[in-house]
Amino acid sequence: MRTADDPAASTGARRLLALFFLGLVLFLYAPIAVLAVFSFNDGDVAFPLQGFTLHWYRDALTNAVLLGALRRSVVVATASSLIAVALGVLVATALVRRRFAGKPIVSALVFSPLVVPYLVFGVSLLVIFTAVDKVLTETMGMYIGLGLHAVVVGHVVVSLPYTVLTIMPLLERLSRSLDEAARDLGADAWQTFRRVTVPLLMPAIVSSFLIAFTLSFDEYAIASFLSGTQPTWPVYLFAQLRVPSLLPQLVAVSSIVLVASVILVVSAEVGRRVAERRYGAPTPA
Amino acid sequence: MVWTVARDGPRRSRAERWGTLGLLSGPLAWLVLFFVLPVGFVAAYSFGAVRIFPTDGGPSLADWEQFLLGRSIYMGLFWKSVAMSLTVSVVVVLLAYPVGYYLALCARKRKYVLLLLIIAPFLTSFLLRVLAWKVILGDRGVVNSLLYWLHLRPPGDPVPWLLYSQFTVMLVLAYVWVPFVALPIFASLDNLDRSLLEAAGDLGAGRWRTFLRVTLPLSFPGVTAAFVFVFVPTIGEFVTPQLVGGTAGYMYGNAINDLFTKGLDWQSGSVLAMFLLLVVVALMMIFGRWVQVRSVAA
Repeated sequence: MRTADDPAASTGARRLLALFFLGLVLFLYAPIAVLAVFSFNDGDVAFPLQGFTLHWYRDALTNAVLLGALRRSVVVATASSLIAVALGVLVATALVRRRFAGKPIVSALVFSPLVVPYLVFGVSLLVIFTAVDKVLTETMGMYIGLGLHAVVVGHVVVSLPYTVLTIMPLLERLSRSLDEAARDLGADAWQTFRRVTVPLLMPAIVSSFLIAFTLSFDEYAIASFLSGTQPTWPVYLFAQLRVPSLLPQLVAVSSIVLVASVILVVSAEVGRRVAERRYGAPTPA
Repeated sequence: MVWTVARDGPRRSRAERWGTLGLLSGPLAWLVLFFVLPVGFVAAYSFGAVRIFPTDGGPSLADWEQFLLGRSIYMGLFWKSVAMSLTVSVVVVLLAYPVGYYLALCARKRKYVLLLLIIAPFLTSFLLRVLAWKVILGDRGVVNSLLYWLHLRPPGDPVPWLLYSQFTVMLVLAYVWVPFVALPIFASLDNLDRSLLEAAGDLGAGRWRTFLRVTLPLSFPGVTAAFVFVFVPTIGEFVTPQLVGGTAGYMYGNAINDLFTKGLDWQSGSVLAMFLLLVVVALMMIFGRWVQVRSVAA
């Protein structure tokens, strides 16, 4: 199969690289595996192991405060990723299908949350919410306050670049002539968008939703400044890490969340690849 | 025919212009209101141009002056964090490069599956992966237990620098970011034209020479992108040091976090946050063109 004079690596070098690859995979997965093992350990999170048990899972699934935090994260992740996907479809359509002045500025603005540290963005939202509330209390005797709505607002901003980046490649591959055919058959712009473009984009829409959802569900830095008295799952998890007796339960729930998120993201990625392949090569715009 | 085209052309483009505005008004409004405005407000606040609390001072450069020229502890913390992030970035790139090389140039058919294997941990809970190390490096964790068991250390006498040290913070950060960095390096090597390597070989270059003179320079954009993608988020890191760093691993990001949540000196906090943002923006302006390459390639 391979010739002896492969210019990339000799047989020995290839074996060495394969070994290195294996080592890195071990390095990446071993800590997660250790954690998963402890979720079944009948004792605290320390060696030696005590024996097999499922009662941490049972405890976790009956812990109302913990479940409340999980529920909040589901709500925040659902809301923020729905908004981020909707905005992402609009931005991607404008960037791929339209020609307009200021396109570089728009794309710079949309993608800049990728490089702004979440810490800086989180405190910025905290400051502006506080400042607005100050004005509102002084003038009208009311205030907005922090909470899940504030977290959603922040998560939409940081998810948006990912949804745009996920939707754009498929949009580039979709033939424009499908839209034009719909227009020629009498559909107006909105009908074309709703009945032709969106259904064709569905695979990318679904996977961008899943990416945004996982991002928001796991996001700690922004949520820690904005969730106020309504901690999301990562904020709750972080706060409880100081309570050693709760650790096994947290590890158990985290293992469930971990498995679920891996399944979600991998299936999203596979689905997107399959869809992109089905539509074939990109068509010239 | 000619008449219709002439009438149709400008009408359509005007409709399209309104359509573009319609497409972008929602997303842009969101970004301006909840991204540009808050960050701009904090920038103004750091100069005292706006006031929130009665204790806030008026417009002045004092806080910036104090931070930049006053030999404040925060400047020292900043450089300490730069050194830590740089170390992490270098280590991570050195770890990811052989993997990217192996996947792009040696593993043929299964390379995308194997790549997914490397990237998958990045998609799992960040806090959880940090927590895992806390368990492994803890006083009764995997490492210390093993040392007790092998009688290399007496029980109850854990290795002191294993947890709550700068070393731990850097180890965990490297662990967290390796999967992410493998991607741009892989992409740049995967796009490499193999016939260039063969040509180098035909012209008499050995594999090492080919690597140093052809492969490495051509993968430079990927390496740069990888470096920036680790350095930018780790320089503003505050969660990992809080969990595994102790006082020795305290970073610049922790100072910002504490000023806003504990110290309640929001004006100094704003100065520190804006300085961090400036540093990141400057980095992106210098290295941005290589980072662009990656998004085109991906």
